[in-house]
Amino acid sequence: MNNRRFDDETLTSSLQLLAEEMESLNAPPEIEQKLREAFRAQTATAASHSYGRYWLVAVAAMILIVISVIALRSRNEPPKPTIAQQPQIKEQPTIVEQPRVDQLQPKQQQIAQKPRRPAARRSQNNEVANHVNREIATDFMPLGYFNASTLQDGGQIVRVELPRSTLMSFGLPVNMDRYHEKVKADVFIGVDGLAHAIRFVR
Amino acid sequence: MLAGDEEALALLYRRRQGNVYRFALQMSGSKPIAEDVTQEVFLFLMREGHVFDPERGTLSAFLLGVARNHVLRRMRVDQVLTPIGDDDDEDAGLPVSTMDVRPLDDLARAETVELVRKAVLSLPPKYREVVVLCELQDLSYEEAAEILGCAIGTVRSRLHRARALLLAKLRPVAQVDEETSAELKSAGCFA
Repeated sequence: MNNRRFDDETLTSSLQLLAEEMESLNAPPEIEQKLREAFRAQTATAASHSYGRYWLVAVAAMILIVISVIALRSRNEPPKPTIAQQPQIKEQPTIVEQPRVDQLQPKQQQIAQKPRRPAARRSQNNEVANHVNREIATDFMPLGYFNASTLQDGGQIVRVELPRSTLMSFGLPVNMDRYHEKVKADVFIGVDGLAHAIRFVR
Repeated sequence: MLAGDEEALALLYRRRQGNVYRFALQMSGSKPIAEDVTQEVFLFLMREGHVFDPERGTLSAFLLGVARNHVLRRMRVDQVLTPIGDDDDEDAGLPVSTMDVRPLDDLARAETVELVRKAVLSLPPKYREVVVLCELQDLSYEEAAEILGCAIGTVRSRLHRARALLLAKLRPVAQVDEETSAELKSAGCFA
């Protein structure tokens, strides 16, 4: 037991001796120098990265600003003539040979006052436009009381087919050979759900 | 330091490098490895310093934990140190013939230190690290447990086992030397 105790004490004192012996040991100074160099390199790299990131952000911000300005300008451009500003619908409609789509499309957009429409809707309109391109249409003729404010409230143009005899009620000539056939017409329906104007299409 | 202050790094390094270097040296027994490990520990602190969480432990424990990982990795890769006894052969002492030592009591200071150092280095890593941390680095059981990532009871039991292993390695050397001394006395030959 004494021997064991002695051994324990000896071991403890020997370990203390070893610890004291090594207490003065330090890493060589070259390591500090290497660390400093690595630190400088790392700081420089980080700075260049952050500098580059700054420029990237700045360029992105500039692009966004330019896009915003363009969008804002296009929105503030003087509005193209609307249906309301068009010359009043003629009392005596005449057959117009030129396609009306160029006038109709902006009119529709401004009537609805919706700057963006769903893609499906847009493609549908394009189909109508292509279809209208090949058509000959009369000017819109008012149905009952009609004024510009009615158009500004918005509305919808609906393609319908009517008996050819309807042409007569608007004072238009009717080919009696095709009297029983139908004729296409676009009816402008206001926000109140009433038909306010009509034009015939061939 | 993380904000890019080089002097802060230097100050931190000067304060902490000793512990890290000594720990690596005591664990590996190799100065080049200890130097490499010290450098790697502080490079890690420079680059990944944000992972240090003061709420989880002290910076010293954090650095020694990183150092331990590096040392063990280096030892595995380099295979510089192969423990003389593995877990099945832990009671095997250092060969007396290779130690070329005299009894502990009579050894000069340098010889004693060298003897104990070799005995510590001959321990399996899991016992060696508790001896280094608790006996040589003079850390508490709690700090050692934090560094090693184990329970305090584990540290305590490993240390107990490590001391027994050290005694087993050193005792034969002392006995041999005592016998030699007795023979010399009985023969009356001191020359």
